[in-house]
Amino acid sequence: MASVFPNLTHRELTLADKLRGIRWDLIALITAIACIGFALLYSAANGNLYPWSERQMVRFALAFVPMVAVALIDIRYWFRAAYWIYGISLALIVAVDLRGIVGMGAQRWINLGVIELQPSEIMKIALVLALARYFHSRSGDEIRRFSTIFAPGLLIAVPVGLVLKQPDLGTAVMLVANGAALMFLAGIRLWIFAAGAAAAAAVAPLGWSMLRGYQKARLHTFLDPNTDPLGAGYHILQSKIALGSGGLFGKGFLMGTQTHLSFLPEKQTDFIFTILAEEFGLVGGLTLLALYMVVTGYGFAIALRSRSHFGRLLGLGLATNFFLYAFINTAMVIGLLPVVGVPLPLISYGGTAMVTVMLGFGLLMNVSIHRDVRISRLGESQVG
Amino acid sequence: MLSAQRQDENPCRPRHFKPPPCAPVVTDSEASARLETCRMRLLFSAAAFVLIFVVIGLRLVDIALIPGAAAEPHIARVAPPPPVPARADIVDRNGRLLATMIDSPNLYADTRQIIDPREATRALLTVLPQLDAAKVYAALTSGKTFVYLQRHLTPRQQYDINRLGIPGFEFEPGTRRFYPLGDLAAHVVGYTDIDDNGRAGLEYDLNEELKNRSQPLQLSLDSRVQFVLRDELQKVVNNFTAKGAAGIVMNVRTGEIVAMVSLPDFDPNHPGAAERDVEPGHVNQAMFDKATLGDYELGSVMKIFNTAMVLDDGVSSMTSEYDASHSIHIGRFTISDYHGKHRWLSVPEIFIYSSNIGSAREALAAGAERQKAFLTRLGLLTPPKIQLHDVAMPHYPKDWREINVMTIAYGHGIAISPLACITGVAAIINGGILRPATLLKVPPGTDPPGVRVISARTSEEMRKLMRLVVEYGTARFAETPGYVVGGKTGTAEKNKHGRYELTTLVSTFVGAFPMNDPQYAVLALVDEPHGNKESHGYATAGWTVVPATGRIIERIAPLLGVAPVDESSPAIEQSLQISSLQGKRIEAY
Repeated sequence: MASVFPNLTHRELTLADKLRGIRWDLIALITAIACIGFALLYSAANGNLYPWSERQMVRFALAFVPMVAVALIDIRYWFRAAYWIYGISLALIVAVDLRGIVGMGAQRWINLGVIELQPSEIMKIALVLALARYFHSRSGDEIRRFSTIFAPGLLIAVPVGLVLKQPDLGTAVMLVANGAALMFLAGIRLWIFAAGAAAAAAVAPLGWSMLRGYQKARLHTFLDPNTDPLGAGYHILQSKIALGSGGLFGKGFLMGTQTHLSFLPEKQTDFIFTILAEEFGLVGGLTLLALYMVVTGYGFAIALRSRSHFGRLLGLGLATNFFLYAFINTAMVIGLLPVVGVPLPLISYGGTAMVTVMLGFGLLMNVSIHRDVRISRLGESQVG
Repeated sequence: MLSAQRQDENPCRPRHFKPPPCAPVVTDSEASARLETCRMRLLFSAAAFVLIFVVIGLRLVDIALIPGAAAEPHIARVAPPPPVPARADIVDRNGRLLATMIDSPNLYADTRQIIDPREATRALLTVLPQLDAAKVYAALTSGKTFVYLQRHLTPRQQYDINRLGIPGFEFEPGTRRFYPLGDLAAHVVGYTDIDDNGRAGLEYDLNEELKNRSQPLQLSLDSRVQFVLRDELQKVVNNFTAKGAAGIVMNVRTGEIVAMVSLPDFDPNHPGAAERDVEPGHVNQAMFDKATLGDYELGSVMKIFNTAMVLDDGVSSMTSEYDASHSIHIGRFTISDYHGKHRWLSVPEIFIYSSNIGSAREALAAGAERQKAFLTRLGLLTPPKIQLHDVAMPHYPKDWREINVMTIAYGHGIAISPLACITGVAAIINGGILRPATLLKVPPGTDPPGVRVISARTSEEMRKLMRLVVEYGTARFAETPGYVVGGKTGTAEKNKHGRYELTTLVSTFVGAFPMNDPQYAVLALVDEPHGNKESHGYATAGWTVVPATGRIIERIAPLLGVAPVDESSPAIEQSLQISSLQGKRIEAY
């Protein structure tokens, strides 16, 4: 175990091996979803590439390179860097809280000169990396101990607290859900989850009092959208009207009235699913859901093939993350969840989310490529 | 140890999966335990994910395919709430806004959110400098969650306060009555109190109607004519340092008041300012509507009615003559003429030369009963009918004695409002039909009901006589080429405490145009004018309101669509010809 690279019958993966290992079928799926996004942004701008569609294409193309790069870098490097990445993400979130750009009433962006970065998006991946590394290094006995939940609990709670302060309820919900899912998959005992749920229910009233006015209004709206149809409930009602008016096959590309007549403000971001449903109908909506399900399934399959616990948990975490994006957004748009700011992955207009999701796929493919690489408790590795 | 661990470190490996030979298999109880947990939980997670996708898909089917489940009831409920009933607008005869409701939010403070009361006070006073800094500061430090700082902000003020960016300053939606033309028709339109209830003018008298109607209330006023009338009267007040003035333009065929002005006036947007300016116990000069509420002895203007009376009742004809060679002495009174001719005068001459003696003799010939009955028929002994309740009660003697008969003939001892006067004059010249004055627009083509008060023939004769006054008499400065103006002047001394004072005058002119077929009458009255250099010290009607009326007619006739005519054309000349004066020279004086 001491020797880092036992030079036995096991050989290191060459670049050619890695390139062969890239999951081109997954890339094809991602590209297909992204193309749906380009088309919807084209429609949202009333049949113009400008301002959203062409920029989104450029972003997708640009994000392609780091995605492949992330996939090719040795997984052991990512294992060792996991806590560092988490730490840097956390520092960036703190930096945003201190002196970020306030966009649309929330302080979420940090200006890096060239691009404006939303560190809370990066944190979604960093948290998965950090948790995967943490659980990789714990034995089964340790995992069953109650005290084991403190460190991952802290890993989740600190960024969640900072993100809530921004305020960004959507990202906070995603971090909590993804963290909890990883803890569940890692084997934390079930009664702890039950206790956690009970504790959450107990502090819910306190949390309610800490919510901002608009957040409370969104929850009221969720429970009964008709209470304030022209105010807080406007968005979700118009969204439902758009969904309902699409019917089975939709009104046709570029023909959606709800969306083109500007009944829906900010339709190019979180509510873009309504354009799809209005113009391509139920068939369009279900097709996209099916694509998301297939991508999530790919993530699970890749995770299952991994021989290292780190790779497995990383794959599961990333797949869960992608699933949460898709689930929270669509459920929100169709009124199954209150309105929180979560973009539709690969489709909603927005730079950081696109880059984050692409980097996530890079890591997922990395897990796939390095499925047979073993990683020791402390990070030294050997090829199995 | 190596081999023991290698059995299968992959807890989630499918059962059928055989590790490749290059991956040595190591068994470990810990690893297998991990494997079991993970596999179970993974299965659970995957199932949950699939279930969630299925739920979303089903919900999508529900929304998209089941009609009415989501979309339709929402659309119905999204329908906008019924409009909040607002006080109806008031517009002029051309639809121009005279009074409307505007959004005017109220500013209040939630003092718990005020971070720095001192700074907030300083900032607020930059926008609302009229506020008292000490009071604002006291309000902001009161700790209350709701304290009014200012009611009825303008949009600009609201914008500026918003721009201050001070948390704790909040706006409560509100509306207020707004008069876009300000003081232009202040007395007619009136104003409302802070709760939008009418306090004066039509706002008061039609309060309920304005509250309930959904369409704007259209007045007979023409704001352009109103502007001209006010402008020219203001010049008269300024040039002759007068106490005030009143003016009315009336459509003589319908009774519609096209313009009505009383000076001084006030801005109905800030009635409080005008209300405050009054000394206790005094009449509020700005608020007082001289045109409807003022009672004036109109002097010689009343000779219009006197002459019409003797002509219409058959007491006299155009050729009858009366002795005006000597003043009349009766009791302690002496009736004399300003421009005495010291001879017998015909009825037209008495009118044109404005002979008091002749008028008095005419009235005596008619008698008290006839005079009283005639004035009653013309509505001059009762308050004139109009939409406003605030109209003057005429003043006339209780016992109608001989001396009263004579003075009333030339307009003394009887006080009526300008509104009553012009309503009567309109009836005299429009063919003899008395129609009540109205401030509401009469739809074109309709003929408001009226009462015949004199014959058409008398009316025609009166038109000719009034035209002569402008051609040859006291109102020559009212001549406006093309509009065939006619009228009658009156200069009366004001009766103060039972004595007539020579220096305090009320000068009046009632004109109409075109006299061959009258359409509009104009009354202009100036209260206590003082002669100036240009008028050679005179403050009589001929030097004050007559030229003003000429300018008014010159300016409003085109606006009212009255086409100028060639006064020397045979048709016009024949229509105004007086046969009894044929061959007689009318002397100028």
